[in-house]
Amino acid sequence: MPKGLGDPLEGFRVLDCAGPSGAYCGRLLADLGADVVLVEPPGGLASRRHAPLIAGESGTISCFDRFVNLNKRSVEVDLDTPAGTALLRGLLASAHVLIETVDGPTRWPGIDEPTLHECNPSLVRVLVSAFGTQGPYADRSSDDLTLLAAGGLLSLGGYEDTAPIAVHGEQSYFARSIFAAAGALVALLGADAAVTSDVVEVSAQEVIANALEDAFPEYDLNGRVRTRRGERPREAGTGTFRCADGYVAMVAGRLGTAKAFAALLDWINEAGTEGASELGTDRWQDHAFRQSAEGIAHFTELFERFAATRTKAELYREGQARKIAIAPVNSPSEVLADPQLQSRGYFTPVADTNGVLLTYPGRPYRIDGLGPFCRRPVPAVGEHNDEIATELGLGVTVPAGQ
Amino acid sequence: MTTKKEPLAGLRVVDFCWVGAGALVTQALALLGAEVIKVESVTHPDNLRLSGPFRDDRKDLNGSGYFASRNSNKRSFALNMAHPDGPAVARRLIATASVVTSNFRPGVMERWGLDYDAVRAIRSDVVYLAMPMQGSNGPHRDYVGFGSTIAAVAGLVEPTGLPERAPIGTGTHYPDHVPNPGHALVAVLAALLRQRRTGVGAYIELAQLESTVNVVGPSLLAASLGQQAPRRGNHADEAVPRGVYPCAGHDRWCAISVVDDRAWSALADVLGDMDFGADARFATVSSRRANEAVLDDLLASRTMSFDAWELASRCQAAGVAAAVVETASDIASDPNLVARGFWQTLEHPVMGPYRVGSLPFHLDGAAGRPTRRAPLLGEDTDDLARELLGMSAEEIAACRREGVLQ
Repeated sequence: MPKGLGDPLEGFRVLDCAGPSGAYCGRLLADLGADVVLVEPPGGLASRRHAPLIAGESGTISCFDRFVNLNKRSVEVDLDTPAGTALLRGLLASAHVLIETVDGPTRWPGIDEPTLHECNPSLVRVLVSAFGTQGPYADRSSDDLTLLAAGGLLSLGGYEDTAPIAVHGEQSYFARSIFAAAGALVALLGADAAVTSDVVEVSAQEVIANALEDAFPEYDLNGRVRTRRGERPREAGTGTFRCADGYVAMVAGRLGTAKAFAALLDWINEAGTEGASELGTDRWQDHAFRQSAEGIAHFTELFERFAATRTKAELYREGQARKIAIAPVNSPSEVLADPQLQSRGYFTPVADTNGVLLTYPGRPYRIDGLGPFCRRPVPAVGEHNDEIATELGLGVTVPAGQ
Repeated sequence: MTTKKEPLAGLRVVDFCWVGAGALVTQALALLGAEVIKVESVTHPDNLRLSGPFRDDRKDLNGSGYFASRNSNKRSFALNMAHPDGPAVARRLIATASVVTSNFRPGVMERWGLDYDAVRAIRSDVVYLAMPMQGSNGPHRDYVGFGSTIAAVAGLVEPTGLPERAPIGTGTHYPDHVPNPGHALVAVLAALLRQRRTGVGAYIELAQLESTVNVVGPSLLAASLGQQAPRRGNHADEAVPRGVYPCAGHDRWCAISVVDDRAWSALADVLGDMDFGADARFATVSSRRANEAVLDDLLASRTMSFDAWELASRCQAAGVAAAVVETASDIASDPNLVARGFWQTLEHPVMGPYRVGSLPFHLDGAAGRPTRRAPLLGEDTDDLARELLGMSAEEIAACRREGVLQ
């Protein structure tokens, strides 16, 4: 390893007071080597109790908490006590970055804006917001569903004959957290000579509004409004299709995949699929026909007849051997068994503080010099009160609740 | 000098990214003040240049709105990498840069002699980003994919939709638009921070599958404990009722999430039906959960008489989370986005005026606005050859005759 290589964020301290919508930001920074300290009110931050929840022998586990709070430390501060206030002020003075959502520390008793500035004038404050702090919607209530609506992505999801339907997994929370982490890093990069406080503000509505693919330029240039199409394929060869044990997703015939579409027709033909000889006729070379309702319906019928006797795994293997962008629609438990992810050593079992063994997906990227995936399991609320008080030279405090 | 307005001023990026996810990473770097040189080719143009949408559907290599939405503030250097002399020119360009990015399938950069080790030999402190679909090794390293297929493999599609219907996902190539460019941006910025502190560069591999899997993280942990993630439509544990309800007009909808009893009583008031609020079937979270389907139907029958904007405003005034399901047309005139200056209008010689979004994060309200339209293919070739490679007009002309520069 070359000299000087280490964790990119080694030596940086990040205070994480974020609610669920910003919790993944701190996780990303912790993975990169920052000392991320959860600053929790008595009983813990809301991310501790956020779904998905699983009831077990040692109590209810929040899988959200276990995912977003890995590699962080935790202090529990009771601002009604002098010790709690001293701990928070000491932490603020020692930190480089503070991650907040709307209910951040400046709304806590005894910590207003001037106090924060007095504690640490060069602190980078990352405000993870729904609509931004300036603008007519700044004070609006929201959750993931309403944010996906306000950012436009929800209008593209769902079936044609139902209401729009949101994507799984609170994507607006992940989306704003990822760009919040990017914003924090930009502030650190630009902060070389800065003395005054930097504020980085993230708007979830803006993150989502940037994710509309060609729908925005299509409207902007031609006035056409793209809508949801559910399970109806985008064109012959491109969409989600039923097979023997579930569904496969495929892109063939568009975006530079003309050869793959030819290979797909050959594949269906070679298998002796009933009615497939039709695919040899000229109209299947015509892109406009393949995008027509008739072309889509006919292709879907033939492909699903062909796929009905084949599993997702078989279609994935053989289709990819033919250079067709086809893939299984995996459930989360099937993802855990994915041969590629397995072969790259992507999953890490980690026992939480109660001894429950969880399987974690690896980091979203590999950077040379990064430390181990798991630096510490998810902390109990207030687990590091004494440790951090000692580091700050405050003597030992009594954690709340003991 | 680094300013807050352009925190990455002075940074040069040689960008081989094309199509979806990669282009957004380097656009973000460009909007932050980096000089991003998009190396592209007339022989094999970026698919986004070919795929439109085009103004009035007039196909033009320089007129794709989709391309323009991901390539603001970049410069275009048209270089034929298939020509025997192409890679040598690329290496000279790389010698002037501190970041090199690509999102080809494994083997392409290697074939050009532009793998990490080769590039590091030219520029020892380079930050090198590769974004292969499934990684540079493993049994599926050569598998082909798109955002929609990667989302399917990663477990994002299967839990989305209604239980009795097919899984549907976002309806887009979502991984290309958020998790993959976002994660890659985080990685590059972190590596730049380390580069500035230590003088050491970095090799970053973002396998698009691995990146996407992270935004399904909590459900994967749950799956590892044996709990599945059934398709639930818009229902979720945090709120009930939680749904998208029809409003007056064609295909107009309002999303509403009721997080507690106070919000429920407020929603009942908004809908102007006190009996509804007092109905014992809906009095508590658990009773609303038990009667969720009936509740959704009843709510839909009430919301239909409301204008969607009016309903969302009234809900908000009463402290209930609600928002109109905005279409691309709505988004263009959304009062909040407009007031914040999110959309910027740029002038383009082929498309005319067009709008493009800003970065979703702001440093003291300054950085991150697109200021220069997406480049025409090869628009900056001559300038860059002269400025960065020190080529004379004669050399440039010779390279053009040879078909190296385009």
